Amino acid sequence: MSEDRFEEFLGPYLLGELSVEEERELERHLEGCSGCRGELARARQTHDLLRELAAGGPPPPELRDHVLARAGGEGAARSRGRWRLWVPAAVLLVVAVLGAGLLWTITADSPDGIPLTATVPASEGGGEISGEVEGGNLHIELVVWDLPELRKDEYYELWYAKEDGGRISCGTFRAQQGGQTTVNLTAPASAVSYQEIEVTREPDDGAPGSSGEKVLIGDLRSL
Amino acid sequence: MFGPVVRAVEDEELIRRVAEGDERALSELYDRYSRPVYATGIRVLGDASLAEELVQDAFMSVWRAAGSFDPGRASFTTWLYRITRNRAVDLNRRRQVRPFSAGEEPLRNVSGGPEPEGGVDGWDVASALARIPEEHREVLILAYFEGLSQREISRRTGVPLGTIKSRTTAALERLHRSLVNPAAEESRHV
Repeated sequence: MSEDRFEEFLGPYLLGELSVEEERELERHLEGCSGCRGELARARQTHDLLRELAAGGPPPPELRDHVLARAGGEGAARSRGRWRLWVPAAVLLVVAVLGAGLLWTITADSPDGIPLTATVPASEGGGEISGEVEGGNLHIELVVWDLPELRKDEYYELWYAKEDGGRISCGTFRAQQGGQTTVNLTAPASAVSYQEIEVTREPDDGAPGSSGEKVLIGDLRSL
Repeated sequence: MFGPVVRAVEDEELIRRVAEGDERALSELYDRYSRPVYATGIRVLGDASLAEELVQDAFMSVWRAAGSFDPGRASFTTWLYRITRNRAVDLNRRRQVRPFSAGEEPLRNVSGGPEPEGGVDGWDVASALARIPEEHREVLILAYFEGLSQREISRRTGVPLGTIKSRTTAALERLHRSLVNPAAEESRHV
């Protein structure tokens, strides 16, 4: 094996991809070649860093779809705002279906959906939510009515919330005044383990967290 | 996650496109950096669901605030790391409003990230991967993040096995250079 050939084998060697014979030959060479030992030490540092980054694992794949769908929904809302068109409902989110997922519905015992109760700032309002899990996503249909009028720089946001403070945003929307609005949103399937649903009123200040100003709340614990 | 390899476009170009509303550019940045954001969340918040929330918040901040990114003040990775760190602090503050439940830990030290004093970590590796040539990036992603053997990479890419082996070594060397001297690697890449 030539010197160049030894050097080329350093990567597969670190990955444990050489044959026993190749590995033995390379190790014999390394004993007498300080140049290749230096190359191997550098390659090992990089190899270890890659291993370390890989070891943490990626975030759940459905989170990527969710982030992109949410950004797409806001992008569409932004465009509508730019053209000053009043579109009362729907941010439609199209999400890739991952495999033949298990069908699950959060409204299995409640064909009319889960009622959402208005808080004091939205005392005239109300809502109802239903959804189903398909692949890694939870597809949600939210119906709201008589919510307080928003300023131009505000929007509503739907959240799945846990008692311990964790929450998942399912997207943003605006609602028609004096009538009913139906919105289709999506969330990672893991949202089904959350205990509460919240609709909050959010300022368009670039901060992705919840303002905490709830206008509708729903309880999933009884399901 | 590092998704299918596409033409290497610099982060700063991608964030400019994001500011124009390009969702594909956001998706590319997500593929490059969701791993270190998630790892930071796990490390400092110690909770997978909060780490997921952190990923979501960080990339929505990128989407919403892309127009305010100034490449003259910081690199994209430094900017994203600051967003991530600030959001992690916010998430932790919100968690601290209530008492800790059993097994839950307070915010751990937010260290690391693409800061000079932080040493080399996942952020630097993700950033360096984005700077090296596509054929090198591809072989490393398939080997380390998708766990493919050299033979499987050969089959997947249609490149002879011998070439994959030498390319893997060359890619490690290239990544090493990119980590040690990012500026030189960038100018070579242009």
